[in-house]
Amino acid sequence: MRYKLPLIALLMVALVAVPPLFGGGVQYALVNALIASLFAAAFNLLMGQGGMLSFGHAAYFGIGAFAVLHLMQAVEYGGLGVPTVLLPLAGGVAGLTGGLFAGYFATMRAGVYFSLVTLALAELLYSLAPHWEGIFGGEAGLSSMRMPFMGLNFGTTLEVYYLTLVWVVLCLVILYAYTRTPFGRLTQALRDNAQRIRYMGYNAHATKVVVFAISTTFAGIAGGLMAISSETANYSIFSTHISAEVVLYTFVGGSTVFFGPIIGASIFTLFGFVVSGATNAWLLYQGLIFVLVMLYAPSGIGGLIQAHIDQRHRLPWARLPLPYAVLAGGGVLISLAAVFFIQSVEHVFSNRYQTVVTRTGEWPDYHLLGASWDPLSPVTWLVSLVLLVPGVIIVRKAMARIHELWEDQGADVYESETAPAAGGGH
Amino acid sequence: MLSRRAISTVAGAGMALGMAVASSAQAEPLKVGIVESLSGSQTSTGRLYATAARYVLEKVNEQGGYNGEQIEILEYDNGGNTSGAAAKVRQAIADGVNVIIQGSSSAVAGQVSEDVRKHNIRNRGDEVLYLNVGGEAMELRGNKCHYHAFHFTSTAPMRVGALTQVMSEQGDLGDRVYSINQNYSWGKDMQESIEARADEYGYEVVDTVLHEVNRIQDFAPYVAQIKSANPDSVITGNWSNDLLLLMKAVGGAGLDDITFGTAFLDQVGNVANAGQGAMGNYVAHPGNIELLSEEFVNDYQSMTGHYPVYVEPGAVNGIKLFTKALEKVDFEGGDIDVNQIAAALEQATLETDLGEISIREGDHQTVMPVVVSRVSKDVKYPVDGTDMGFEPIEVVSAEDAIFSVQESCRMRRP
Repeated sequence: MRYKLPLIALLMVALVAVPPLFGGGVQYALVNALIASLFAAAFNLLMGQGGMLSFGHAAYFGIGAFAVLHLMQAVEYGGLGVPTVLLPLAGGVAGLTGGLFAGYFATMRAGVYFSLVTLALAELLYSLAPHWEGIFGGEAGLSSMRMPFMGLNFGTTLEVYYLTLVWVVLCLVILYAYTRTPFGRLTQALRDNAQRIRYMGYNAHATKVVVFAISTTFAGIAGGLMAISSETANYSIFSTHISAEVVLYTFVGGSTVFFGPIIGASIFTLFGFVVSGATNAWLLYQGLIFVLVMLYAPSGIGGLIQAHIDQRHRLPWARLPLPYAVLAGGGVLISLAAVFFIQSVEHVFSNRYQTVVTRTGEWPDYHLLGASWDPLSPVTWLVSLVLLVPGVIIVRKAMARIHELWEDQGADVYESETAPAAGGGH
Repeated sequence: MLSRRAISTVAGAGMALGMAVASSAQAEPLKVGIVESLSGSQTSTGRLYATAARYVLEKVNEQGGYNGEQIEILEYDNGGNTSGAAAKVRQAIADGVNVIIQGSSSAVAGQVSEDVRKHNIRNRGDEVLYLNVGGEAMELRGNKCHYHAFHFTSTAPMRVGALTQVMSEQGDLGDRVYSINQNYSWGKDMQESIEARADEYGYEVVDTVLHEVNRIQDFAPYVAQIKSANPDSVITGNWSNDLLLLMKAVGGAGLDDITFGTAFLDQVGNVANAGQGAMGNYVAHPGNIELLSEEFVNDYQSMTGHYPVYVEPGAVNGIKLFTKALEKVDFEGGDIDVNQIAAALEQATLETDLGEISIREGDHQTVMPVVVSRVSKDVKYPVDGTDMGFEPIEVVSAEDAIFSVQESCRMRRP
């Protein structure tokens, strides 16, 4: 525990001090990362701790957003005196109500049936919302404007960032504290063996409904923060895309660790922000990372970190940096090979390039990684192979060495230590 | 303690230095952000808008740019959804763009328009213009209208007005009209317009259908409904798969004697997929390649690799009107004030191959002619690799096509 506090304090200082140094675009991306983190943490309360995989969490995220927008409109047009800083509460209340109702039905079943019921409920909202003008504003959705409060007019993204930061940190603290309470322990028992809970005299169904509702409350707050930040929402907030995204964040981050989903959500949101500006193939990269993490680090990024923390007294720290650095080097080589290949294909088959080809009948050189390449030359396409083969060999050797070092010390080797490409910079 | 003279000397020197820096600084370039759907399901349409906008702006750059600098064209991928658009609009504004261009999806257009409006309220003196090249929802010109948004595309009343007029003149409208549309704002706009024209053109709307958007795999039940209503013509604002599958189902049911009046039949791939069933059907659109000058068509082809199709002619005209307005405002290399550009745009006119287009002050809608075309084999540019194309029947003049300004639009002028 002792190493955690300074680390968290340092992170908090960074979260407060760094954003003003960036422009509005980056600040907005950070706001989204914070919101995604809270949403993923709320989702993981149900998934990682309660063992209930919901495929329809977008429903509660969306309900929270719409509730806050209705309140914002009441403040804007009706002169209702709710300060902007308290608006997310409405999202929480809406999430709680929706969660109690939906949770009552969904938690009657477990496993895949539970997932399907949650999916169906979210789809219900998704198809209903565009036609229910009064509540969801038709397919254009609702929009409103943040009103000034106590000298703060919440006009700049930075002010919204700090508002979001306070709410997200507060909620994460509550969610973390929750895992330490007896009821939090009960939640984990629910995941491990619901039958036993019943034998111990607890009402398993009621417990599940409560856990479900707590999760949806925080999902609703996250949705409410989203509504405050973008000042609008439409029915697309209920789409399976949003529900799937939070599952993705949680799995990549690692559902077994409290901070796992938060790490996953932050990384993927910022990754999307940076890479979508550089290439249209960014969804492919995101998918590749997901597949690699699932294959080589099934417990996620958070799981990897946790494994190192758990074994910290047994690991030969002095001898680890070299193989880790070698592994990272190999990862960089493989990443470069992949990026070079994908970007080359994207470039050569793009509309613009093909236009030039049809107009001139020639395949001109293209620029990538600071050099120009001839698409018809086999040398160009060999580059990827030349990078890939040594990369794979290096990674395999380094992995074998790392396994050896871990086992030498009697440390439990997790299923696998590192995703080969995790060290690379896409 | 400094004497008063010393202070004034220092201040004077400071001012002189500041002015020297200002005058030696380079001219401020006009920055244009294209916030389009460049990944996801609407990519094909988003790409067309981006291509058309880029074509016009690059022409300006070839002739020396604007304000003493090349126009900077930045592209942002909004992913086809509103949250992506919100993020990219903020990114674009942070990058210092003066103008945002966007077209595909009215929902995204609504988001961009609102974000721009809010930004402009909060940042007086640092405003941004929004050029809507594709969002056709009436709402954008209604309660969401604002001074810094300009709409360069047609709307449901414009398309339906032109369709019914020309189809009636050609004797293809009949007196029994069936309305089938998608159940959202655009489809409802269409249905409303179809019903509104009934008296003027002496037809009866025999039935109206609003169906799910992009979810129906088989239109056979709807076609059976159409058949039993026995209409002379069917008017639909359907687009994408909903139009394609509808036309397919119609072809299979042997309803060849019913004429279809559409808004989007010219979308790439529709004619090929509909096959011979497409013959004789109508489309009302802002531009038809058959009417464009050969010089422009060939130039467009050589710069972009394809002929201007579907939404491209309309988008090109819109952005051309914008560059026309730019010519009227000279910042002499200094700071760019988009309010002056907006004022010039309200006054600008452009002579297109179809007639004059201009912006009206009431809601910033472009007053433009609408072409009504019929699928025929007698064309210069067959489409989709078939022997069919769109034969222009009539150009409905801008004055006849335009709708009146909606009461819900209350535009605050700076």
